[in-house]
Amino acid sequence: MNFAFTKEEEAFRAEVREFISGAMTDEIPSRWLGGLLDTPARQDFVTKMADKGWLSIGFPEKYGGTESTMPLAQYVLNEELHMAQAPIVGKNLGVVVNTLLHQGSEELKQEFVPRILRNEIQWALAYTEPDAGSDLANMQCRAVLDGDEYVINGQKRFITSAHFADYMWTGVRTDPDAPKHKGISLLIIDMDSPGITITPIWTIIGERTNDVFLDNVRVPKERLVGEENKGWQYITEALTYERFAMTSIAPTVRKFQRFVDFVKETEVDGKRLADDPVVRRKIARLSVLVEIGRMLDFRCVAMAVKPDYVPYIEAAMNKMWGGIVETEMSDQFLDILGPHGYLWKDREANASEDALLDGDVADDYLWAGHQRVAAAGVDISKNIIARRYLNLPSS
Amino acid sequence: MDMEFTEEQRQLMNTARSFLEKECPSALVRELETSDLGFSPGLWRKMANLGWLGLPFPDEYGGYDLGVIDLVVLGKELGRVLCPSPYIPTVVLAGGAIAAAGSEEQKKTHLPRIISGEELIAFALQESGGSYSGRGIKTTATETDGGYVLSGTKMFVEFAEAADRLLVVAHTSGDADSTDGLTMFLLDAKSAGVKLTPLSTLARDRQYRVDLTDVKVPGDDILGPVDGAWPLLEKTVHTGVVTLCAYMVGASETIHHMANEFAKERIQFGRPIGSFQAIQHYLAQTITEIIGADTLTIYAAWALDNDLPHRTIVAKAKSFTGDTFKQASSIGAQIHGGLGYNEEVDTTLFLRRGKQYQLSMGDSGHWEDVIAEELLDN
Ligand SMILES: Cc1cc2nc3c(=O)[nH]c(=O)nc-3n(C[C@H](O)[C@H](O)[C@H](O)COP(=O)(O)OP(=O)(O)OC[C@H]3O[C@@H](n4cnc5c(N)ncnc54)[C@H](O)[C@@H]3O)c2cc1C
Repeated sequence: MNFAFTKEEEAFRAEVREFISGAMTDEIPSRWLGGLLDTPARQDFVTKMADKGWLSIGFPEKYGGTESTMPLAQYVLNEELHMAQAPIVGKNLGVVVNTLLHQGSEELKQEFVPRILRNEIQWALAYTEPDAGSDLANMQCRAVLDGDEYVINGQKRFITSAHFADYMWTGVRTDPDAPKHKGISLLIIDMDSPGITITPIWTIIGERTNDVFLDNVRVPKERLVGEENKGWQYITEALTYERFAMTSIAPTVRKFQRFVDFVKETEVDGKRLADDPVVRRKIARLSVLVEIGRMLDFRCVAMAVKPDYVPYIEAAMNKMWGGIVETEMSDQFLDILGPHGYLWKDREANASEDALLDGDVADDYLWAGHQRVAAAGVDISKNIIARRYLNLPSS
Repeated sequence: MDMEFTEEQRQLMNTARSFLEKECPSALVRELETSDLGFSPGLWRKMANLGWLGLPFPDEYGGYDLGVIDLVVLGKELGRVLCPSPYIPTVVLAGGAIAAAGSEEQKKTHLPRIISGEELIAFALQESGGSYSGRGIKTTATETDGGYVLSGTKMFVEFAEAADRLLVVAHTSGDADSTDGLTMFLLDAKSAGVKLTPLSTLARDRQYRVDLTDVKVPGDDILGPVDGAWPLLEKTVHTGVVTLCAYMVGASETIHHMANEFAKERIQFGRPIGSFQAIQHYLAQTITEIIGADTLTIYAAWALDNDLPHRTIVAKAKSFTGDTFKQASSIGAQIHGGLGYNEEVDTTLFLRRGKQYQLSMGDSGHWEDVIAEELLDN
């Protein structure tokens, strides 16, 4: 039993921190959990990391990767990026590269993996549709093979990054007659293809996601990932990487620490908030919930580095707990702030001068609920745990 | 990072599991609830023969030199069957204090006898109006010729009546709201002036109020430095707390498993109640909390074993694990429906202990105050 990172991993952490403090500018941090690679400044930041070889750690040399003796290098890197509110490298690596390496054809691996590791291309993940949310297997976006090309028609909803991505990692229906899980395939769609229309959906904290309409979009059949009609299996596997690679307890830890510093130096009615017995108990209680998040995170990581093990259950537990802690924490923080808590920075405006903590806590509160819902939120994760781990009968 | 137990630890776990399943069925747990001693001397002897009572002690005294992690491995198995025993007070707390603070003479006298199961020592720390810590101790020890005179009242002292000795923490100087000036005494439990009053508890375990009225204690019975007990004792207390956490994790796993199996079998509305989402979500959240509590308990043990700062982490472990066991036992009973509250069904054994252990050895509020001190006052 050992909860410590290796000396090598700690040295790497120090190196990452040093890099971040040097490369960070005001334009880079994002309000969005994990941050998007949507601006030149943010992309440039990640490219600098790619130049250092940090995106390729642990991937096969054949596709531009570098062997690593640090199984937790990616985890350490993401943790530090999260703590700095810098863009993380989770989606491209965690989902696309991992799945391509496991399931993709040799051509797809060669074409895409090295470019991703160099941060030359950006991705959107397109699963959700208006009638396929939690019930993702109900996706209807249709792909019909016509000669050497698939022809795609349908709509995707909540497709984050679609407005700047080069490629869309897309779930499509290839067999409408098969049971719903058995007729889905995974296609890589070039965003420059004719027939794609993208319209914005603005979230409550002013970040952008998108509706994507596909009208007779043609895709070479070589862009099929793995086998036809096996897409559901790849998507669920990739969703686990997503739950694990893109969600982390680190942002929660960062917010918690920031708030602890705040209550130590802030007075209300002439008394330090940190001396108020109610505030003390609340902070202590939340620190326990955050710590449990860290433990579940550790478990997930410890399992994920095992060869060929996909931490499906661990990731669901992690996701469930993350949703619970984020909502609980941001709500309690606002309670402690009182009326100052509702001084917000609206989409176009900066935070008013009187806002505490830059009005960020209000953002966190508004955004926390999304954590309970998106990419298998609290309730869906509980379903997964109940069925797959506890073997309870289906309802 | 490595979250696996060693081969030896897995072996200890397997041996303990099969031994306890056989030797400590719930019928025995029930029987001991109404017995005089509250534990089974026969089972205690067998535990001694298995070497369990020597786990944390140096081998020169007959122990096995193992760590807090190993105590956690065993503690979980004891908790899984709700095994009633003086393991925590005698081995982990009193034995731990003797190993940490005792003179060579005291170690040679007591440790081998603890390890063989011949000597029971009760641990008397907490008092009314005081938390489970070095604070709030009003018991005093006044020096007289050749020894000390102890006066005060200790609460929640487990197995005091069966004990040969009492480990009493008292102020030789300083006052009740400070941990300075505390001294440990290892006195004969039958000393004149020691009065035991049994307490009726939710778990139906043997706990006592111990009134000490001018109890004369020879100077030889002082354990560790005069006025300097707390810095030495705190780590031992934390080890005891973590062992209780392990016990609660094991117990939580059992009650969760009982409820989970019941939910698969019990048919209502023409289908197993485990197919209803309300039930599934209770069970899914509870198992996640149990796994979190388990990992945090192991993390705390690891911190203790590696001499890392452990005050906050132990506090977090006790507060969360206590809450988790309480919740698992309460949900576990609820899922059993009316049966869950039926005296003859084992859910009730868990329901009563779930709440009691959440409040013992420092309730969640106490440990939250410790966390707040560490986080906010430095
Ligand atoms: C900001 C944002 C970004 C996103 N980015 C992407 C993206 O990049 N790519 C992508 O593909 N998708 C993306 N999503 C979509 C996201 O994954 C979905 O919102 C999610 O899958 C839930 O689907 P839904 O919104 O249709 O809710 P619904 O499925 O309609 O659910 C509504 C409510 O019912 C609950 N519910 C549903 N079924 C069950 C059940 N069986 N048991 C219990 N409760 C249930 C849900 O938990 C939820 O509370 C994004 C969403 C948001 C908000």
